[in-house]
Amino acid sequence: MSSAAHGQVFDLGYRRYEGPRAGRKRARLAIYKDGLRAAMGLGRGGRAKVPPWLFITAMLIPAIIFALIAGAANRIAPDFDELDLPSHADYYAIAAIILLIFAAIVGPELLCSDRRDGVIHLYLVRPLTPGDYAGARWAALATIMVAAAWLPQLVLLAGLTLGDPDPGSYLAENWLDIPRFLAAGLALALYAATLAFLVASFTTRRALAAVFLVGLFLISTAVIGGVAQAVDPDVARWIVLLSISDVPLYINDLVFNNRAPASGGLAGTTGFAQRLPDVVPVVWYVGLVAVAGLIIRERYRRFTG
Amino acid sequence: MILLEARELTKRFGNVIALEQVDFTVSQSVTGLVGHNGAGKSTAIKIFLGLLAPTAGEALVLGLAATDGVDVRERVGYMPEHDCLPSRVSATEFLKHMAEASGIPPHHARTRASDLLRHVGLFEERYRAMGEYSTGMKQRVKLAQALVHDPVLALLDEPTAGLDPTGREEMLDLVRRTHTEFGISLVFSSHLMGDIERTCDRIIMLDHGRVSQTGEVSTFTQESETLYVEVDGHRDEFMAALESRDLSVASDGTVVVVEDVHDDAYDLIRDALAESGAPLRRLAPRRRALADLFDIPSEGDGP
Repeated sequence: MSSAAHGQVFDLGYRRYEGPRAGRKRARLAIYKDGLRAAMGLGRGGRAKVPPWLFITAMLIPAIIFALIAGAANRIAPDFDELDLPSHADYYAIAAIILLIFAAIVGPELLCSDRRDGVIHLYLVRPLTPGDYAGARWAALATIMVAAAWLPQLVLLAGLTLGDPDPGSYLAENWLDIPRFLAAGLALALYAATLAFLVASFTTRRALAAVFLVGLFLISTAVIGGVAQAVDPDVARWIVLLSISDVPLYINDLVFNNRAPASGGLAGTTGFAQRLPDVVPVVWYVGLVAVAGLIIRERYRRFTG
Repeated sequence: MILLEARELTKRFGNVIALEQVDFTVSQSVTGLVGHNGAGKSTAIKIFLGLLAPTAGEALVLGLAATDGVDVRERVGYMPEHDCLPSRVSATEFLKHMAEASGIPPHHARTRASDLLRHVGLFEERYRAMGEYSTGMKQRVKLAQALVHDPVLALLDEPTAGLDPTGREEMLDLVRRTHTEFGISLVFSSHLMGDIERTCDRIIMLDHGRVSQTGEVSTFTQESETLYVEVDGHRDEFMAALESRDLSVASDGTVVVVEDVHDDAYDLIRDALAESGAPLRRLAPRRRALADLFDIPSEGDGP
């Protein structure tokens, strides 16, 4: 015996979708959103969340140390203004390599996995072009990189401002550092994202792409740094352009008005780059990013599954 | 309503001809695209999806050229033959994302993902990472992602590949229901005639890049002009009696096969039975299977 009180199971049957369809715009946004989630390990297992947060923490540590040093110095020698303390201009010289390795580890996750798992075949039959796909994925990685580059600088700014006996006057004197570190951080983030994608677009194996990138950053810098010290400084200033991981630091140095010490950069290459006309590092940076972007676009334009 | 149309469609890869001057249309139905491996099935599907450009001729999807823009893909689904699922993501998360990637807003995408997982029988397993799924479950997610945006038409490439007999039955049933209950038209590519016969209304047969046959599956499998007769004893006398009445008779094991049956054959068989005194056990027209008509396997897994 059954009664209404026992409840009933209704088979709703198949329901057709009559709602809005936003096509290409929504499709690109979906790829971008999924890229952010994949990069941060959201919606994946616990292990996938470790690398991004590890790198973000590692990026924050130098900023916190800088702020603590400045705070301590202010207490010990409040009147000694000439003290050359590490600040916004110096931060990326230490943190750039962390961000580049972050991009090298996370970037391939966004491109290689889709090709290895075959998910790319499902994307390419949806209302978007291969260029839309690669562009949306790149934008996701670039967003994470920009956030990771700016966050520690903002923490540093807060630390320096609050650590100063007169926060108001500190900000009034140093406000120009804010657009400067935003610009330098943006340049670094776009560089890291684009280079990581360039390498990732050539392999379906994440680990291979990551190892190659990290090797490229560390070895190019070590080799070029060694060569630059051994040759004539007039030659060395050109050679240091080949130090892949230092190129965004030359931009950082320009943005901050060549305030970096001559021994800056991972292998002390900044001093040599300062001897170049200002336009050279800029053209070199823009050229590298643009060529890498074009190669990625070409790799995906031809991709038909 | 014509959903797909090939007009003198030609595709060459260098000197290799994949499709040569192919003409066919697909209307609202389940259409089987059949042929040996290398006959041009996958090439045709990829052209209709806009993944490959034709060398010559036209491929129209819902009346639009497949190579013209991407908007038409909002209304088309695709289930590839090969693996295409990320192992670390749950089915519900993946389907929602795929619905959004087809242009559906997030809250609708969530509902669609749940609906489809229920329809393919994976609702209980929806939060598990897909890497832990069996082959049959993965095939069902692959079908669900092809339908999650409620397409007018879905192209299924070898949907039963790699499935055991039970999984295959379930998949064929699901494919059939997709058309009869969901109202979604399907193009079903397979080299297995048994699958095509079970699920499809129409077939398009490709052979070396050309269309060799098209038509309703029922016309191919209609009753042939052959009768099977089984008798209990007096078999030789019965066959002699049939031959004396000018019927074309053959023996297939214990069965007597009467070929080229004409209108009065049933009367003649009755007379022959009476004359020979053979007790009749069975008299049946023979149905043809698609596999008998085409040199194509009907069972087992593809390479």
